[in-house]
Amino acid sequence: MAVSPPSAERAILHVDMDAFYAAVEQHDNPALRGRPVIVGGTGRRGVVATASYEARAFGVGSALPTAIARQRCPDGVYLAPRMARYAQVSAQIFEVFRSFTPQVEGLSLDEAFLDVSASRRLLGTPMAMAAALKEQIRHRTGLACTVGVAANKLLAKLASGLGKPDGIMQISPEEAVELLAGLPVDKLWMVGEKTATRLQTAGIHRIGDLQRAVPALLSRILGNRAEPLRRLAMGIDERPVVVNREEKSIGAEETFDRDIDSLDAALAMLMRLTERAVVRLRDSNHLAAVVQLKLRQPPFVTHTRQRQMRPPSAETGTLYACGRELLEQWWQAQNEPALRLLGVSFELTEGQPQDDLFSAQRKPSGVEDQIRARFGDRGLVRARGLAKDS
Amino acid sequence: MRFSMQREVLLKPLQQVIGVVERRQTLPVLANVLVQLNDGRVSLTTSDLEVELAGSAEVEMGEAGEITIPARKLFDIVKALPDGAKVELSLNGERVQLKAGRSRYTLAALPATEFPQSEIGEVVERVKVPQAELKALIERTGFAMAVQDVRFYLNGLLLERRGEGLRAVATDGHRLALADWNADGEPGRQVIVPRKGVLELQRLLGSAEGEVELAFSRNHVQVHLDDGMLVSKLIDGRFPDYEAVIPAVADVPVIIDRDELRAALQRAAILSNEKYRGIRVELAAETLRISAHNPEQEEAVEEVPAECAAQEWAIGFNVNYVLDALAAISTEQVVLRLRDGNSSMLVEAPESKAIRHVVMPLRL
Repeated sequence: MAVSPPSAERAILHVDMDAFYAAVEQHDNPALRGRPVIVGGTGRRGVVATASYEARAFGVGSALPTAIARQRCPDGVYLAPRMARYAQVSAQIFEVFRSFTPQVEGLSLDEAFLDVSASRRLLGTPMAMAAALKEQIRHRTGLACTVGVAANKLLAKLASGLGKPDGIMQISPEEAVELLAGLPVDKLWMVGEKTATRLQTAGIHRIGDLQRAVPALLSRILGNRAEPLRRLAMGIDERPVVVNREEKSIGAEETFDRDIDSLDAALAMLMRLTERAVVRLRDSNHLAAVVQLKLRQPPFVTHTRQRQMRPPSAETGTLYACGRELLEQWWQAQNEPALRLLGVSFELTEGQPQDDLFSAQRKPSGVEDQIRARFGDRGLVRARGLAKDS
Repeated sequence: MRFSMQREVLLKPLQQVIGVVERRQTLPVLANVLVQLNDGRVSLTTSDLEVELAGSAEVEMGEAGEITIPARKLFDIVKALPDGAKVELSLNGERVQLKAGRSRYTLAALPATEFPQSEIGEVVERVKVPQAELKALIERTGFAMAVQDVRFYLNGLLLERRGEGLRAVATDGHRLALADWNADGEPGRQVIVPRKGVLELQRLLGSAEGEVELAFSRNHVQVHLDDGMLVSKLIDGRFPDYEAVIPAVADVPVIIDRDELRAALQRAAILSNEKYRGIRVELAAETLRISAHNPEQEEAVEEVPAECAAQEWAIGFNVNYVLDALAAISTEQVVLRLRDGNSSMLVEAPESKAIRHVVMPLRL
């Protein structure tokens, strides 16, 4: 079984969801499908965050003041963003990304670079991966995206921009030079407002002008940035895909109307907060590596207590037991223990790629999450969480 | 109390017991070593309330008595004295004086009555094991003990009576190590010795001939050696059903040279992901193929001749776990028993069930 050496050329995908917020709203509420949907600030000074393609036909786009959008598209459906929901969908999308490669650089909730170079042997050509990825995202979330395929980040992003909406577009290095030539210079990532002005003063407006510019002239304008910029203009971009960490912690906290001064009530509150945070923890597909409590004594002295979880866990009972120990220790160390605020948070770690020998000997708590998703947070609570609050 | 002896003779039992003296104690007296002189022997005892260690040595001359002395200071002073020095210790009111040649030290003492010596209670079972065998049992399993796991019963070593023999099992949930000594009888009493007790015992055991006696009470184990003793609390918990996770239907055997496999794994490990230490294992006819790659997309491929049949699947492992398992087996060849790409692997010696290691796969 010989190994084919990975091609020297990298394979980068740039995935961008189409009209993400608006598409989520249309997906969640079928009555909105086919109608112009504008998600954004609905107040007097609000601006549009995302407009559906139906709304774009009216000249409504991101960053347009909502007031103007309402003039251009009076029959549009104007919605305030539901960030929690978008984050949830985003988590599913990123999960799909990571099933293709661990090398995922998220740019926002709905946009990422994927370095799939190492996945080629396993998953096929970059174009095949792009098609499979689009299909899986549609299957998981019902949403459309556009995938740009190229040998570097610059061209992959350019490709997805050209392929929109709901497309797959590949730019080969040969096509790159010609494609880039027609674009304004400020489309290059190194070129900000200031550099653009300087280039324009020298008569360089389009990337094509940069490609043809005399090196000495460029050096005079740009100093030591001339060469890297010239390479970018030729479609050469060696920036690596930088895997970014996502959310680092998930937690829940509550400030009480009346201070809690019994340990029993404090533990009941801890259980409720733990349950609340654990649902989100499991949604995020992560495990808690550290449990931290935030304890605020009246009037305003805040302590934190934390402990490592070994192994990392997403089980309510285990995490509660850890928080409980911390809370009890703190409680016993106070002269007059009382709480004005209690918070629990989990520092996240990637799900372990290794199964546990004894996982079958433990009961899963995923069922709880399903019950809560259906009947709400109070659909199922641990008896511990029902003790009186004070 | 007063006694004198050669520096080296005092240093040896001090070295044996210093390990359990924590740098920070819950009780001040736990920073001290209990020194007791009786019948021409000095015995030294230290404790952290979980593990108690004792060592003893003959003295050249002495007056009976007992006292506690700051352990680490005493150890550091004695260690730094010149070879062959004659050390004299004497109690003077609430202080202990140490003299050696032209060196004089005065150390603060605490009364021996403050030292919390363990009461182990009624002994319910005794086992005699050759010292070298007990050491081997621990060396072959101890590395798999969990560290500060919330499943507190995994932070230790299971000792299980098996007929006249003994079985040791340790697991951290990702891998499991099992070793038997003379264990061909029915399963009997199970105890879990906490991690620290196990590591101290391992240090204490030599390769000397002769037997070691393990005495179990309800909550303690006491180990008697010729010139020392260890008492450890037991972990009050139930060890998981370890037999249930030893694969019974692992019907893809791979017989392979242990050293060759180890060397190949060690090389491939260099290019495995630093966090998960993953390697990929594939079987071709008469060949075990190992590959590894890291986020920089560097790649290692190793092929090791083996008695095996080609399989369609591949399986991933944390290379450190496999190396640990191989290190615990001393035969020239080992048998890897696999089932498919998702099931755990059993590693054992060719014709023996006395040492068994189970390694969970890593999702690739």
